[in-house]
Amino acid sequence: MRRLIYLAMILAVAVPLLLGASRSPSRLVSAERMYDVVDTLDAKPGEVALVWLDFGPGTLAENEPQAQVLLEHLFRRRIPVVLLSQYQQAEAALQRIPKEVAERLEAELPGERWSYGDAWVNGGFRPGQSIFIQALVNAPDVSKFLGRDVNGMPITHYPRFAAIGGVEHVKLVGEVTGLVGVFDNIIQFFQKGGYRPTVVHGCTSITIPEAYIFLDSGQLKGLLEGIAGAAWYSEVLKRHYPKSDNSRLLAVNTALSSAHVVLIGLIILGNVVALWQRARRRDG
Amino acid sequence: MDSTTAWGSASILVGGLGTLAIFSFLIRENPFYRFFEHLFIGIAAGLGPMLVIRDFLWPNVLEPILGGNVTAFPDGTVSEPYQPLYLLYLVPMAFGCLYYCIYSRRYSWLAKVVIGFTLGASGALAIRGFFGEVIPQIVGSFKPLVVMGEGGIMIADSINNGIFVVTLLLVLNYFFFTFGREGAIQGRIAPLGRPLLMVCFGAFFGSTVMARLALLVERVQFILVDWAGALRSVLGLG
Repeated sequence: MRRLIYLAMILAVAVPLLLGASRSPSRLVSAERMYDVVDTLDAKPGEVALVWLDFGPGTLAENEPQAQVLLEHLFRRRIPVVLLSQYQQAEAALQRIPKEVAERLEAELPGERWSYGDAWVNGGFRPGQSIFIQALVNAPDVSKFLGRDVNGMPITHYPRFAAIGGVEHVKLVGEVTGLVGVFDNIIQFFQKGGYRPTVVHGCTSITIPEAYIFLDSGQLKGLLEGIAGAAWYSEVLKRHYPKSDNSRLLAVNTALSSAHVVLIGLIILGNVVALWQRARRRDG
Repeated sequence: MDSTTAWGSASILVGGLGTLAIFSFLIRENPFYRFFEHLFIGIAAGLGPMLVIRDFLWPNVLEPILGGNVTAFPDGTVSEPYQPLYLLYLVPMAFGCLYYCIYSRRYSWLAKVVIGFTLGASGALAIRGFFGEVIPQIVGSFKPLVVMGEGGIMIADSINNGIFVVTLLLVLNYFFFTFGREGAIQGRIAPLGRPLLMVCFGAFFGSTVMARLALLVERVQFILVDWAGALRSVLGLG
């Protein structure tokens, strides 16, 4: 019986993917708020967005689409991005995701370029978590503090990142993770004096209830809730940039909805059968 | 097929095999699953120290101490003068290394000094972090029960805030164990927090299931699209 349930779940996911089913995602206000925050971000020359990609293969399914839509939006707005991670297994994501987003944008808009060192730099994995974050926010110059990128090149070598200055010039902090405690480090320690940057967050479905607390208190200005959040963000992006391709993300979101329907059906079926068996035992 | 494409295809094929091996556990435990499970653990365990050395210890600590960041040009000049103050990094490093004294019966007390220092620093950080995180949440929980908008009372927002405040008070009250619950009022109010907590746990469980399904969708898509495509390409079928 257990194997039949596994089979039903796999079919529920595989059939929509094979058929290419794609439905428009549900509207999520928190994702829309995040879109508005990024869209209205007032970044002057020399100011940057700091995006932490703190996820590995374990939560790639939800965090990768979130990182993609956030970076796509920042790249479209030509806001320079410094990528960092508190999680060692994020190494591959830090390298691959911005490159893929840049390639997709260049294919969509021939003649325009999003290159490494101009659109983004990869500061790589930084151990130390809260201690590192405190040192970063207290550094007189973020570029000099970060030192070198993953390629061993000084970050000051790249003109758009040469003199970021203090943390006040970090206009946006984006944090994409499914790890418990990692996002808390940002909320707890990414502040200097009276300055707190605008913080947006992409979380996995598991951590939505915790992330909502921060959204409700205003510590977070926008939130991407699992794949559904990324799907709605991509839909809003598509409305503003019609050539943006979100077909793969919508297909994943549709397959996820299909799996939910089957799961709910199985829960109802299980309860009905349990009630029926209980009634039979009672009757004799 | 050029080397980059071949390398990409090989990665996808191995990734797909790994996925199928782990999924094979759903049928029953088997050597194929065991092999990939150990492979994953080994990779994860080896990757961590390697990245710490490559991305942190070498460029930020060892290279400056050894003067490796100083480039000598053919004309005899250097990119930057060697900074002997970097040698001070050796002091905290040596202090941290005392942790390994835990393996010695005679000198294990030295490890306790490091542990004590770490606990003290962690405690201080936790207190600071607590205020940075929780105070704004406490302030955020002071919500108006009647929300006024431009057109008068905003009914939906007022109801939302009302539910929030009632839930907050009832759940806080549920964990209030200073006095007994035998009284007429507390005896009736305290249990009301319990079903609200159950709703919260239900939301947590539902979101956990959703996250697991998202992982399944991503893996199934990887197998159906990327892996099958790479397999077809290698077999010359497409």
